Amino acid sequence: MSNWQPDQTLDTSGKCCPMPMVEMNQAIRKMDPGSILEVIATDPGTRDDISSWCQRKGHELLELSEEGKTLRFTVRKAS
Amino acid sequence: MDSMAIIIRDDSYDKILTPLAFAYLQAAEGTVVDILFVNWAVRALTEDGAAAMHIHGEHAKDEAMVREGVAKAGLPTEIMDILKALKSTECVNFYACSLAASIFGVNEDNLINEAEGIIGASWFLNEKASKADHCQYF
Repeated sequence: MSNWQPDQTLDTSGKCCPMPMVEMNQAIRKMDPGSILEVIATDPGTRDDISSWCQRKGHELLELSEEGKTLRFTVRKAS
Repeated sequence: MDSMAIIIRDDSYDKILTPLAFAYLQAAEGTVVDILFVNWAVRALTEDGAAAMHIHGEHAKDEAMVREGVAKAGLPTEIMDILKALKSTECVNFYACSLAASIFGVNEDNLINEAEGIIGASWFLNEKASKADHCQYF
């Protein structure tokens, strides 16, 4: 259970590279600065992909949790 | 990364997936991706050529499995649909190598609208590949 209330949730379960990254970029582009995007993923590659993407783009990775094979990222869009 | 150049040579369905996926990844972030199709791969820039792409050689028998995996990943299974998805990012440019076009039967009449055109390799290598932040060859 996330400690953050997302403004939008993107569920990429079952999808693999490149689609989680593509869909996440599309989603966050439409969001306001400072808003929170929750991304659910099952592609293990997203663990590093999304973390490094946040650093590159200035977004804040608020939380990353794992439950079984499901990864849940909580990202605050850069202001 | 602001710009990336990719040169694709192989025209088999499985081998073209990786460069197109890499292009999709970077274009999604806003990176300008310029792709030069050389050798047999130039035929991907035609409707018939893209539709005719299959897996070659020892892995040919696994094509149905690969296409199923591509669909499961969330990508379109047809190469032409992937090219259109890349183009829709407005960050990807497709170029046909003029030598390859001449040899492998691509011209202005059968080139897809999504392609920028048929260009000389010298222009691409000097104006795109050498100036890109990153260049890949497949």
